[in-house]
Amino acid sequence: MSFRRRIRPSRGGGYDLRLAAEERALLAVLPLQLVSLLAEAGDKSPEELPDALHRLLPTAYTTDPDSERAFVAMTREDLIEHHRASLETMSQTAKATWLDDEQLSAWLGALNDLRLSLGSMLGATEEETEPKGAQSRPAEWVAYLYLGGLQSELIDVLETTLPDPIPGADDLVPEDLWGDPPGDLRWDGTPQPGDQ
Amino acid sequence: MTTFPTASTAPSEVELPETHEVAKPELPWLVIVWNDPINLMSYVTYVFQKLFGFSRPKAHKLMLDVHYKGRAVVSSGPKERAELDVARLHQHGLWATMEQSG
Repeated sequence: MSFRRRIRPSRGGGYDLRLAAEERALLAVLPLQLVSLLAEAGDKSPEELPDALHRLLPTAYTTDPDSERAFVAMTREDLIEHHRASLETMSQTAKATWLDDEQLSAWLGALNDLRLSLGSMLGATEEETEPKGAQSRPAEWVAYLYLGGLQSELIDVLETTLPDPIPGADDLVPEDLWGDPPGDLRWDGTPQPGDQ
Repeated sequence: MTTFPTASTAPSEVELPETHEVAKPELPWLVIVWNDPINLMSYVTYVFQKLFGFSRPKAHKLMLDVHYKGRAVVSSGPKERAELDVARLHQHGLWATMEQSG
């Protein structure tokens, strides 16, 4: 089975978009739902946020509440604005047949934000099997899988547009002093995937 | 869904290194990206290249560390620099935290 690519670099620059009307309708509406949710986030802590927003507004300091509060005060507004701008750009250009670089970059962010939000609501796992929320939220589960496919295609295109690596950047990364986790678990206590 | 870093979710036999030591201002801060079940592997690799200017092999290796070990250190430096990197990673939907080395 072969797929027609939905996003391709355009000859004169930018990108051509070939999407079905149903896809465009979804991509116009879904982001706006997340934008309204984000509007109520304010400086709420993770415990106060709905599942759908957990992954969009993560914690920076996990063992230092004072530093975390200061970090949220300094960054939360910009973070929400960043998400909002990407989501609104995708919604507004969902019917377009051509996107510029900036708009395509916003699409990548918006698709990822939507997947993070839907995936958290569904209790998504790394396996392709249905998470526990898929039965009660079939529409969200289908949307989650659809958005993942589209995002994957978009990354294939954007990868080819990355600038050259910065000389020496690789060498600046320090070794992780924690090294390898013990046994068959990851550092977060979840099982290591066995497909390496 | 992975819920680290709340140590209570980790099995009791896993001893995590102590992170509650008194702050040492001279030590650099580490920016750490944690595994999550939602972000695509290709997306994580792409973001590492875009934000830090890594080569593709380096970005791919760090992504695999996140996937298989559960975490990877992606940058280090003064506190302000680390906070900026964490904020940029959060804008891209990655699960980043920071802690002081040592």
